[in-house]
Amino acid sequence: MEYAIEAKGLTKAYKSEGGTVLAVDHLNLTVERGSVFGLLGPNGAGKTTLIMMLTGLSLPTGGSAKVLGYDIVKESVKIRKNVGILPEGFGFYDHLTAEQNLHYIAALNDIPKEERSKCVGDVLAAVGLQEVKDRKLGGFSRGMKQRLGIAQALMKNPELLIFDEPTAGVDPEGARAFKDLVVRLSKEGKTVMLSTHLLFEVGPLCDTVAIINRGRFVVQGNVRELVGKLMAEEGYRIRVGGAGDLGAFANGLMDLKGVKEIRLEGGYVLVRADSDIRVEVGKLASKCGVEVSTLDLMEPSLEDLFIKYYKIEGMAHPHNDRAANSEGIVNG
Amino acid sequence: MVSMFTVASKEFSDIVKSKRFLLLVAVFGLVMVAAVATVYLSATEGTRGASMPRGFLGSVASSLVTMMSYFAPIMGIALGVDAISGEKEKGTLKLTLAQPIFRDTIINGKFLAAFLAISLATFIASLVNIGGSVLALGVTPTVEDVTRLMLFMLFSILFAMAFYGIATFLSTISKRTTQSVIVSVVLWIVFTFIISIVASLVASSMVPISFQPGQNMTIFRPGQNMTGNPEEIARLTEQFRSRTAITEAIESITPNYHFTRIARYILQISVNIGISPGGGVGGVGQTTTRAVSIMESLGSAWPNILVLTLVTVLTFIASYMLFTRQEIR
Repeated sequence: MEYAIEAKGLTKAYKSEGGTVLAVDHLNLTVERGSVFGLLGPNGAGKTTLIMMLTGLSLPTGGSAKVLGYDIVKESVKIRKNVGILPEGFGFYDHLTAEQNLHYIAALNDIPKEERSKCVGDVLAAVGLQEVKDRKLGGFSRGMKQRLGIAQALMKNPELLIFDEPTAGVDPEGARAFKDLVVRLSKEGKTVMLSTHLLFEVGPLCDTVAIINRGRFVVQGNVRELVGKLMAEEGYRIRVGGAGDLGAFANGLMDLKGVKEIRLEGGYVLVRADSDIRVEVGKLASKCGVEVSTLDLMEPSLEDLFIKYYKIEGMAHPHNDRAANSEGIVNG
Repeated sequence: MVSMFTVASKEFSDIVKSKRFLLLVAVFGLVMVAAVATVYLSATEGTRGASMPRGFLGSVASSLVTMMSYFAPIMGIALGVDAISGEKEKGTLKLTLAQPIFRDTIINGKFLAAFLAISLATFIASLVNIGGSVLALGVTPTVEDVTRLMLFMLFSILFAMAFYGIATFLSTISKRTTQSVIVSVVLWIVFTFIISIVASLVASSMVPISFQPGQNMTIFRPGQNMTGNPEEIARLTEQFRSRTAITEAIESITPNYHFTRIARYILQISVNIGISPGGGVGGVGQTTTRAVSIMESLGSAWPNILVLTLVTVLTFIASYMLFTRQEIR
């Protein structure tokens, strides 16, 4: 298996007034080439620190990692030569125009002078900013600056793109355009790493995700596998809607094997069971004279996944006890 | 690999187009014009162009040194004070560092750009002063005058770079530009005004000048000898010499002191009214007017040149080491 990113025991400790803080705590990570990887977690979880280390902008205090086969400590410049990075909290030079800013970035990337204009024009087109290329950045909205940030990451036609909070400050239209861009990049065979705390935005785009909290991965793996795992752990949720005596139907449901919980909510009966019992539910509905209009298996969302593991992590370490072992919930 | 010239080229363009730089050059240009007017007025007391007892340099040096002793540090501080902290605050440093460059490329590029911008500003300011003085006095400077003025400009640039180094160092260690601005300005005030006052106070408290009752002496009138009891003159000479040594020892912690010394040697003038170094042959209060060659001037000024160079180099190294190891969050 070829990996775009491989990290083993990657650690970053900061010294603070209260002692040492582990911003990133012995992380193991693999991201397959050509995949879209989502790094999810609340603010301050360690996402940005991890990205800073992977791009050679911050030195690890422990462990090792390779990005596109380059060592993050010894070959960081080679990494940044081949990786398009959108850092969190970046800024452009406000006194320069969009085009001038990108020309400077192109020069820093050693793109030959004769190719710069075309290169800049292409990436401006990719993010829809051609019409404002001659405007100074001082007059740009936050969303426009964010799009320009994405443009600069695309500049060197990189094999791997790392976006840290890419949709921060971007309007819904811009967010949708960004998602389309990620899909396009994925189709082109690029590896994309998205870091965000907004799960609903990147969830559907990702092949694999890792949820990070307090510097550690609380769960990591393929999105479908993780959802299946959560369903097995939390129970299958079935939503039944229809016309008839739903009260009698609900009482009958309690006698079905594997049913754990029944709730009536907004004209629907919500059933939680330890297996997929939709066939049995359908049969019971006919028996009770209920005309079924909806019989859905409700899959847990990435957000459910996040909330579950975030809660577990929070409960396991109520006093921020970094030494506690969390292997029981870490996958991979 | 991207060279520091890419960064330097952009930085230099930013500096020379910035309102801050243009305003400083304009203000000091005007101040230089005012200084030229002063030179003109003092010269017209004699016959214009014909009688220059102190020579061209002697006429323009005083105003040039005074102006430059304010201009150079302010220019250095203005350019260095947000060199790193400003980029951190705006987030531009994060974006620049996300590109395939080494950190030292950034700081080297910034130093080179600052050096070029300071050289340009110093050249403009000096040109206004010297050119204006030539026109006002109607005197053509000699080759030696021009050489000495060029050397003076070079050391003015070094002086400005010393302050640029200090300001950049403060900018590197500060989290916010306001912090580095406050500390830099306070440091400039201390170096320019406070230290000399403190030095005088310390010297006068350590070596009080005591006069014998009944003695009638004239002291400290430049160009004249002291008159009075020879023993008393020797005692006072020693006291003044001790005071000067203490004052200079305290003032020598500032780059300003070393710049003034260099300027005095290079331009052959004494900017401080007081006892001439070493007392002179004629005794206390007499100024030395003996002409010295450029090499002799450089020979006398080299310890001060060395100190200014060290301040510049050491602050650059300190900024460099800090910046290349700093966590950018």
